[in-house]
Amino acid sequence: MGEYALLYILFAPFAGALALIFVSNRQPMLVRGIAAGAAFVSLIASLYLFYAYDPVRGGFQFIQRFEWSRQLGISLYLGVDGIGTPLVLASSILLFAGIFVSWHIKDRTKEFYIWLLILAAATIGVFMSLNLFFLYFFYEMSVIPMYLLLGVWGSHTKKYLEMRDPEGLKQRDSVGFILNFASNSKEYAAMKLVLFLSAFAVVALMGILLIYKYSGLNTFDILVLREQAKLMNIPVLGTTLDKIIWMLIFFGFASIAPLWPLHSWSPVGHAAAPAATSMLHAGVLMKLGHFSIIRVAFEILPETTRELMPIAAVLCMFSIIYGGFVAFYAKDTKYVIGYSSSSHMGYVFLGMAALDYISLSGAVIYMFAHAMATGMLFAMAGWVYDQTHSRDIPSLGGLSNKMPFIAACFVVACMASVGMPGTVNFIAEIMIIVGAWNKYPFQVIVAVLGIVLTMAYLFKMMRGLFYGPMDQKYSHAHDAVSAVDRLPLLIMISVSVGFGIFPMHLYNVVRAGVDPLVAKITQVVPVASQERETSGVKREARVDSSRPNLVALPGDVSRLTLDAPRSDQ
Amino acid sequence: MNFELTMSFADLLLLLPEILLTCWLCVVLIVDFAFPSLPKEQLAYLSVVGLVATLGCLAWFDLTHVSGALFGNMFVLDRMALFFKMFIVGATILVILVSIEYVNRFAFFRGEYYFLVVMSALGMMFMASANDLLSVFVTLEFSTFGFYVLVAYLRDDLASNEAGLKFFILGVFAAGLLAYGISLVYGETGKLVFSDMAPAPATPGLMIGFLLIFAALGFKIGAVPFHSWIPDTYHGAPTPVTAFLSIAPKGAAFAILLRIFFVALAAFKPMWIFLLVGVSILSMTYANIVAIAQRNIKRLLAYSGIAQIGNVLIGLAAGTKMGSDAILFYLLAYLFANIGAFAVVIAVSHAIGSDEIEDYSGLNRRSPFLAFAMLLFLLSLAGVPPLAGFIGKLYIFVAAIKEGLYTLITVGLINIIISLYYYLIVVKKMYINEPIDPSPVSISGPMKAVVYVGLAGTLLIGIYPQPFIDWVVAATMMFSNLAAPTAAVIPLIPPFGG
Repeated sequence: MGEYALLYILFAPFAGALALIFVSNRQPMLVRGIAAGAAFVSLIASLYLFYAYDPVRGGFQFIQRFEWSRQLGISLYLGVDGIGTPLVLASSILLFAGIFVSWHIKDRTKEFYIWLLILAAATIGVFMSLNLFFLYFFYEMSVIPMYLLLGVWGSHTKKYLEMRDPEGLKQRDSVGFILNFASNSKEYAAMKLVLFLSAFAVVALMGILLIYKYSGLNTFDILVLREQAKLMNIPVLGTTLDKIIWMLIFFGFASIAPLWPLHSWSPVGHAAAPAATSMLHAGVLMKLGHFSIIRVAFEILPETTRELMPIAAVLCMFSIIYGGFVAFYAKDTKYVIGYSSSSHMGYVFLGMAALDYISLSGAVIYMFAHAMATGMLFAMAGWVYDQTHSRDIPSLGGLSNKMPFIAACFVVACMASVGMPGTVNFIAEIMIIVGAWNKYPFQVIVAVLGIVLTMAYLFKMMRGLFYGPMDQKYSHAHDAVSAVDRLPLLIMISVSVGFGIFPMHLYNVVRAGVDPLVAKITQVVPVASQERETSGVKREARVDSSRPNLVALPGDVSRLTLDAPRSDQ
Repeated sequence: MNFELTMSFADLLLLLPEILLTCWLCVVLIVDFAFPSLPKEQLAYLSVVGLVATLGCLAWFDLTHVSGALFGNMFVLDRMALFFKMFIVGATILVILVSIEYVNRFAFFRGEYYFLVVMSALGMMFMASANDLLSVFVTLEFSTFGFYVLVAYLRDDLASNEAGLKFFILGVFAAGLLAYGISLVYGETGKLVFSDMAPAPATPGLMIGFLLIFAALGFKIGAVPFHSWIPDTYHGAPTPVTAFLSIAPKGAAFAILLRIFFVALAAFKPMWIFLLVGVSILSMTYANIVAIAQRNIKRLLAYSGIAQIGNVLIGLAAGTKMGSDAILFYLLAYLFANIGAFAVVIAVSHAIGSDEIEDYSGLNRRSPFLAFAMLLFLLSLAGVPPLAGFIGKLYIFVAAIKEGLYTLITVGLINIIISLYYYLIVVKKMYINEPIDPSPVSISGPMKAVVYVGLAGTLLIGIYPQPFIDWVVAATMMFSNLAAPTAAVIPLIPPFGG
């Protein structure tokens, strides 16, 4: 049973979507029940996966392999390592929560859940693909449902609703809506998101095709390519091929991450999307970028990664600061959260760029932590919007009287997003900061300033929404009282706080995935595994002797993060 | 040259599907005249019975590996010919099923419609087997002949008449080019059969001759710059005829193109590769950009068809066994998506009497099934996983990247994004816009069957393509000895185009 966990996680949502096709839209409870059931199967299986993953053994586990096309060298090859496991868990938690967050959708309920399930299943598929073809397959498959989710069930911005053509008609139906840059209608957001992500996806596809050709192995299998592809030192166009491939892969996938300056689709998309879609979008869809870079560029081109990853270290500063400032001045709740997400994704890039055991583990944990925090924020922004039909912060206020439960949860979510001790975000942030300090002190200072900025805009939004005087037109707004409405928030809060207090298993799992990867890239082996080696063998692999060797002992998080003993101390 | 016309009965067996269909054609015609009171849709089912029998016969040939050549190699029956014959017959069956409702719009000659459709199919079946230049000319004209009439079938509709006239004049012009090309090639080589020509030296006359033949076939498949008839003809012709025109002749023409480029001209690959690269880039880019501005769904699908042909030409430019596999596979994916899309167009136009994209507003509320089907067909044409079109595009790209056609692949990838834009505009109308008239759209039985076949093909090929890949790989086994080009022939970054 257990070894098929990945199949349950991946195919339960697909099966749910398929079953929903045969259900009538006139039975909304049955529709919701099937969707929730499918998500529940996926959630239980991924919880099992998370706790059954053996961090001591490490490597790829729960492997499933089915031949798909011999001629093209494609197999449906599924497996998770320590990096994929928490992200699979985050996806299924957010899917399950998202089903309940969108419980009250009345328009075409069935179709909404079908597309939501397909979106989540495709996202999960990326996290467990060990085949470049299927990685791209699921990646592109996750983009298209976004179009319908945004376009059909999304909402326009305030600015758009006020905008009129000279004839007094809304500019909604012209083919040229894509050129209405200022208006940000939901159609515009949906089209921009799909075209932007698809455009960069094909950039990455070009990189994948080049890997396929030049490896000459006639396979898309990542594990085979990782061991056998010889892509280094092939001169082409005045540089080397591996650099071109790396750039294609990196920028192709960084657009969904979203790395500045490729972020512009993201806040627009967040703002237009319905709450559950925003949650999945910000919570896990954006992590597809980081994950795919790690899975493709880090695994297959480790040496090029070491050489070119400083690009990410430079760009991530702009992400953090730019996103933070825009979030501070934005007046739309979803824009604030959207820009805060793209700002926070800069931390993940910083953690990845430092190529350090601690910082990369921090980056992976941050992805998990951010999924929960931003999921909560979007769920509550969605609730406030449903109650008040407004996302305009200046016009809102004082809602804590009407919705004390939501206000309290919002405070927790803000704390988590800021990285308060006690939430898993804190652990992730501190690991990134500590891990990256040796290599990128300036970026770390920027990142710490970014945390201050995060506090500023989140607290400003919290005050604007829930405190101060309340407009009487919102007096009908009410709190989340039913279990169905409270459940998703409670799940995400308990996950965030739970892993904040008991992070050890999460940490061990992530380290099991990160260790071999960083060892391969930096060729510096963590002391913990050096000690495990027989004492006679001397490692020759330290090419970068000026670089201090960080010590990491899995099993003791406090030593790791706060006073990690260094070899140079 | 002397023709071996002595045939045994066993040789005649190779022609069994064609003979079967010819006899059935006469039966359909006689039944139409003998029983004028018979409802015309019975004639449609009668034609379908004959076509299904032919398809069964072809499948039986394919399974038992029947092959051979007749008339001094003018007519060959190999697995590729069988593939294309099944492709054509399958497309014809689906077209006849979507025609049943539409035929009631014709004022006259409703019975002859089916006769003409099946006759064109018969011509195209011969095209799939044509192995020398004379049979190319004869079969090409034979199949186009039926189309000239079919396109102008809406006699009182000016657009249909214009479409017919345009198609006829340009078609005859293409026939002239073909005849001139054939005479040049024959003059230079003294040979007509493709496989005999291979060792010929590359004289300018030969090259010009083949260029003219390519132009004529380019007209048939509608590649830029031979595409100018396509939008108006597709727009004006009766929609089932448009559907037929957009699928079957392209398959048949690619059978001939494969034989010309991979057999007769295999040795000249470094020369023709630039021709194909240029035509492919032009077809994809021009058609996709122009398609954005279209307001009529038939014109949109016309331009989308031109762009798809540009994609298929990438496989031809690759010039390898894998390229030919990819072409066959892509055409298969294109068949299901395109016939499905046209079936939806016919159903919608039957219900609301319009082909304007604007009138697709709110189709999702009026008929969730049709909107969902159209969504999948359009996304398959755009090349989105997990649909057939995606695997087709990927197959083509993999074949091309093995030959180092980087520019072509880059242009192809960019074009995916451009095409996604105009397909999504239609999706936006169907799903996001509210309907002007919310009355439900109904769909007749045979039409629904075609949509289901299209959906099944699109999803099945997309999710589990292995059997189909095996099929196309077996069908193109004749190209497996194509010389793998060396690095000297294909530079890493060719000076232009490649």
